[in-house]
Amino acid sequence: MKNVRVARRYAQALMSIADEQHSIDAIAADLEVIGAAIRGSRDLHLLIASPVIREGKKQAVFEELFGKHVGRVTRGFVTLLIQKHREVLLPEVVEQFSELRDEKQGILNVDVGGSTELSRAQEGDLVQRLEQHTGKKVRLHFAVDKAIKGGLVVRIGDTVLDASVRRQLERLRERFREGGPLTTTNA
Amino acid sequence: MGMAEVRPEEVSAILRRQLAGFEKEADIYDVGTVLQVGDGVARIYGLTKALMSELIEFPHGVFGMVLNLEEDNVGCILFGESSQIKEGDTVKRTGRVASMPVGEQMLGRVINPLGQPTDGRGPISGGTYMPIERKALGVIQRQMVKEPLQTGIKAVDTMIPIGRGQRELIIGDRQTGKTAIALDAIVNQKYTHTEKAKREGVKPVYCIYVAIGQKSSTVAQVVDKLQQEGAMDYTTVIAATASDPAPMQYIAPYSGATLGEFFRDSGRHALVVYDDLTKQAQSYRQVSLLLRRPPGREAYPGDVFYLHSRLLERASKLSEELGGGSLTAFPVIETQAGDVSAYIPTNVISITDGQIYLESGLFNSGVRPGINVGISVSRVGGNAQIRAMRKVAGRLRLELAQYRELEAFAKFGSDLDKATLAQLRRGSRLVELLKQDQYVPMAVEEQIVAVFAGTNGYLDEIPVEHVRRYEKEILEMMNLKHPDLLQEIAEKRDLSDDMISRLKTILREFTDSFKVTVTA
Repeated sequence: MKNVRVARRYAQALMSIADEQHSIDAIAADLEVIGAAIRGSRDLHLLIASPVIREGKKQAVFEELFGKHVGRVTRGFVTLLIQKHREVLLPEVVEQFSELRDEKQGILNVDVGGSTELSRAQEGDLVQRLEQHTGKKVRLHFAVDKAIKGGLVVRIGDTVLDASVRRQLERLRERFREGGPLTTTNA
Repeated sequence: MGMAEVRPEEVSAILRRQLAGFEKEADIYDVGTVLQVGDGVARIYGLTKALMSELIEFPHGVFGMVLNLEEDNVGCILFGESSQIKEGDTVKRTGRVASMPVGEQMLGRVINPLGQPTDGRGPISGGTYMPIERKALGVIQRQMVKEPLQTGIKAVDTMIPIGRGQRELIIGDRQTGKTAIALDAIVNQKYTHTEKAKREGVKPVYCIYVAIGQKSSTVAQVVDKLQQEGAMDYTTVIAATASDPAPMQYIAPYSGATLGEFFRDSGRHALVVYDDLTKQAQSYRQVSLLLRRPPGREAYPGDVFYLHSRLLERASKLSEELGGGSLTAFPVIETQAGDVSAYIPTNVISITDGQIYLESGLFNSGVRPGINVGISVSRVGGNAQIRAMRKVAGRLRLELAQYRELEAFAKFGSDLDKATLAQLRRGSRLVELLKQDQYVPMAVEEQIVAVFAGTNGYLDEIPVEHVRRYEKEILEMMNLKHPDLLQEIAEKRDLSDDMISRLKTILREFTDSFKVTVTA
């Protein structure tokens, strides 16, 4: 958590260079390669997290692994992180960079939970409604969650639009427990 | 109730109607994720729109209150069991600031600082919700403290008079009778709810006893005692005991103030006892340190002064346009070995309108209540004292002060002139006269008669060990033979020259007959 702020600083610096050189997409792709490699290999994760392994060694490893796959700016960025002993932040920076890129391009990441898979038509409909509602391009991340029993749960940032059966039942229980007026329909 | 009359088909009809809007509703709320939890506090990521002191809903029905708003996280205090909450749990904003239900139905009940009953006598229904933290009223809405709040304790009502809307600190070491003073004051309010008080123009006073960080058994004893004395009919006990989480203890006095303000704002009078604010400050210190606020003197955070000043500012006497209600506050502070120069005591002394200072030395030597009248003061209550009391009590303080000065000399014995001996004789009897048992509050008119006898020298001839019997018997006699005079004092609130001479005659006769019983 405490690293988020530092990672964001680095990501912002990288973003401004990428913006100047009109190579945001290329750098984003580079970072994705590095991020995927770290996620995929526990050894690599341990390497960057280890304070025992010397700077030169780490740099050599990165050069050998990614030298051919990533651009000059990205390589320079990784070298800078290693020199500043901040290489452990690399996964965070990758995440922050993609967030910054989405912000810049007006893309909204929306998490959606449903009790069953959505059909293509439903998904398209949902994306269209959300885009209308938020005025931004929506990228949907769908996950099946049996616990919600039915309906949908849409999460945009900190705000949740909860139209699930689980929530309805919860509210019903609350109202019964509070002994509120049963005759009026919901306000 | 009418349970038998509810037919099954009605139930289904209601349920069907309830469930009609079922599928259409989408609920919108803001969420965050628990980053860290423990010791009654939690840090939450997200909740970017959270308000200060907003209630946050955690899983398992636990609620929290926002206390810190930081750049990338929100600091919360928890009002429930924090062991069930895990890192990564989702929490919800409720959109309302911490509040509690208020109303008459709270009288006679024991509740926690969130207004939920803890006396096992079922739920408390109805009542409007009011925020626990409220801003104190401004200058325009107030007026001078002008009506007396009788505690029924001779030493207090005569020399440290308290007015409705005042904030009077009760301070002293442990086991010096601080709670006893507060409870006596509550018990004495019983008379304000009687027909007699109504005739005399005394308005009823509703009481709130806030127990902070005390043992549950002590609170149970207090409730039991109040019940026995018939004081629970107009009293609410708000308990945040030692086993409750520190955040509960921290907000307890604010809840008490909120409930008191309900009575005040509806034109009535309320008395709230915060027992005690030392423990509340300690709870707040714990919470603050856990939220990583920087420690200051005695490791208290920088805003402990504000912690108590904003609480005590809520005590007030409303202007007539607003109904003229009042909220009187009795904060209690416990000192360590009589040290009033510690951080919290000095703060609260400077905030309140006076203090009742209790000493263990006096208490242990049999002067009970162990009030040190030399350094106890009331800065505003004098205006509220009834005139009759002001007339007889004026000399009391002075004579006691002179007595204390001479007392030191008297220790060396021998060779004292007549005037000094007379002064000593008078003083020792006045000290004896001011002794009073617990839970036997005394009406103003009776106090006036007793003190009048003392300051006018009727006790000088009576041996010290007979003074309390004298007092008891004169009051019995007055109630039996001269209830008209007592009633006149209570109703006119003044002592006319005629009344004084009548009182003098009665006292002279009684003293003469009493002396016979002493020598016999």
